[in-house]
Amino acid sequence: MISYRFIAVCGTLCDDLEVDVDIKENKVVEVRNGCQIGTKKYFASNPSDHRYERPLIKENGTFKEVSWDEALNKAADILVNTKRALLYGFSSTECDAQGKGVELAEILGAILDNTASVCHGPSLLAIQDVGAPTSTLGEYKNRADLVLFWGCNPVHAHPRHLGRYSEFVRGYFRKDGRNDRYIIVVDPRNTHTAQIADLFVRVNPSEDYELINAIRAILRGTELDGKEVSGVPMEDIVALVDKLKSCKFGVIFFGMGLTQSLAHHRNIDAAICLVRELNDYTKFLLTPMRGHYNVAGANQVFSWQTGYSYSIDFSKGYPRYNPGEFSSVDVLMRDEIDASLIVASDPASNFPAASVKNLFKHPLISIEPHHTPTSVNADVILPPAIAGIECEGTAYRMDSVPLRLRKVKDAPGECLTDKEILERLIEVVKQKKESKN
Amino acid sequence: MTEIKLKLKKVPEFPLEADVISPDHFAGKSVADIKKLIVYHGNEEKTLGEFFDITGKPGEIADLKITIEGNLSNVKRIGEKMTAGEIVVNGDVGMHVGNQMTGGKILVNGNTDDWAGAMLNGGELEITGNAGHYVGAAYRGFWKGMQNGVIKVHGKVGNEALTWVNGSKPAKRFPTLKCGSAGSFLGIHGHGGTIIVEGNCDRCVGADQVRGTIVVKGSVSRILPSYKKLGEVKEIELMSGEKITGNFTEYSGDHSVEKNHSKIDKKTGKISNSSNGRLYIAV
Repeated sequence: MISYRFIAVCGTLCDDLEVDVDIKENKVVEVRNGCQIGTKKYFASNPSDHRYERPLIKENGTFKEVSWDEALNKAADILVNTKRALLYGFSSTECDAQGKGVELAEILGAILDNTASVCHGPSLLAIQDVGAPTSTLGEYKNRADLVLFWGCNPVHAHPRHLGRYSEFVRGYFRKDGRNDRYIIVVDPRNTHTAQIADLFVRVNPSEDYELINAIRAILRGTELDGKEVSGVPMEDIVALVDKLKSCKFGVIFFGMGLTQSLAHHRNIDAAICLVRELNDYTKFLLTPMRGHYNVAGANQVFSWQTGYSYSIDFSKGYPRYNPGEFSSVDVLMRDEIDASLIVASDPASNFPAASVKNLFKHPLISIEPHHTPTSVNADVILPPAIAGIECEGTAYRMDSVPLRLRKVKDAPGECLTDKEILERLIEVVKQKKESKN
Repeated sequence: MTEIKLKLKKVPEFPLEADVISPDHFAGKSVADIKKLIVYHGNEEKTLGEFFDITGKPGEIADLKITIEGNLSNVKRIGEKMTAGEIVVNGDVGMHVGNQMTGGKILVNGNTDDWAGAMLNGGELEITGNAGHYVGAAYRGFWKGMQNGVIKVHGKVGNEALTWVNGSKPAKRFPTLKCGSAGSFLGIHGHGGTIIVEGNCDRCVGADQVRGTIVVKGSVSRILPSYKKLGEVKEIELMSGEKITGNFTEYSGDHSVEKNHSKIDKKTGKISNSSNGRLYIAV
């Protein structure tokens, strides 16, 4: 038995986990300090019926175990003959593999996208429109005396966020932890995060924009007509504005409740403008609550290699960017693709049904360690080692701080790392392209 | 006037990027040369002649008319960056039609997909059917959208039409959108646009508008809380000096934007029209 200190697997990237590994059996036996989500992820890496250990090819509706060469050959055959392939996922793997994904997309002239497309993509659009005043989580921990959670529920989605950065933790200037912070939650539902807050503002579903708009107008000294906005009484909004103005260091954390309700990026646009204007009175910042542990990394890697963070089209040989035109859900809804490579993601579980139908119409290659609705419908399955548990790498936390992932144990069976798989696939694709020309 | 006729042979399997279909690329070329112009189909380079039957007589750019027939809903970027001449499309057309054009005229007898007339900087785009989202809008990250010209949509426009529109009275730039009805966030982040809607609008009309005029002759599903009612008017003067008569309720805004505090004109003692956004909704 051997113990290590490791990083967990969501956007919070907790780096204080202790993992006990049975070296003989090559199994995780205990995880300490982790939340339920992180602990489960470590245990899920153990060999089980749900784990792929050898490459598989679908023949006549059933999967057949094959060698790596045969599987990569088949995958390359599919990709080389495409005119508009979709490369999607990348948010739950490490940065080197993401870089290889960009290389492959460029060679194929394909569409490249990551899961930001269906989660915090709207935040990126808003940031491109109006900028983003943000900081690292450590600053919030040490300084913030007002924390506003808007449209997110960290008690369930980022369980250790509250304890490590935003609510209960004792910071350098916030020695009394929770008692030194004023917590506000804005949400349509009385969530568990709202129940432990000092102030809960219940907003009507999908009317966040109007509320932010009213807050900004009141902040500018405008007296508004009307008795309520988005279900919130006017006097409550005025009191909320006073609270926001009077803090020493405030922060807004926002989640899917803002980015994926109606108005999408315009909600974030307004929230960023609000933060910008609050800085006339006090120090205020904001940070998106990223979900996948390395979706921030995918945005970083894609940005530094192509100039754009997601929804990238290489069909003309150079990267072009236009969410709505090249984002994966949209191209699938319009049925524009002819094959797809899904890396470390499960679109079949969270894309609209109509787009998933179109995804399954065409050849599908899946690089995925577990049985998922996407992988069971794939034509080729390439089983990877799980990054951060079975191989090393780099991941970006939700505040874009890069952290090193470490290896806990060996991968079961013949699993290769995502990076190795993509490297070998690129080699085969290059050879086939040359012989084709 | 010389005319070139294009007829789509069959609907392309993947979106066809045909930014070469514009008088700027056709002018001075023979039909044989026009057939050789490059279009992009998926990740492949093809020629225009493979997808279109092309007939007609080429000529100078100013009096060149291009007529296109067929279901072009999968053909993108027709008339991109065109500077002069005329394009008539008989049928539905795909994304980005007439984007960034600076002159000439495009008439679409049908519907268009998203980004029709995006960042238009002159000329006229007329759509007889409905248009998609982001009509005349700024592309992602641009702080100046449509800066001049006119877009007329007889039917409905989608969400976020004319984002970051940027007009100027001194420079005589009056970017204008006239449409039948509109989706949400019409004219968001507007800096001096003119928008006239014959019918109804969805929520958040004129959000973050610094200045500009929006006239809605129907109703708005939800007016933003940061718009303040000023009173009723019988005549509206647009930025270009044009006048509209009717019974309208006048609102000023968007008051959530820093620069947009209602300024009182020292001479007249009234709220100045030029430094404020205005929203007029029919009574």
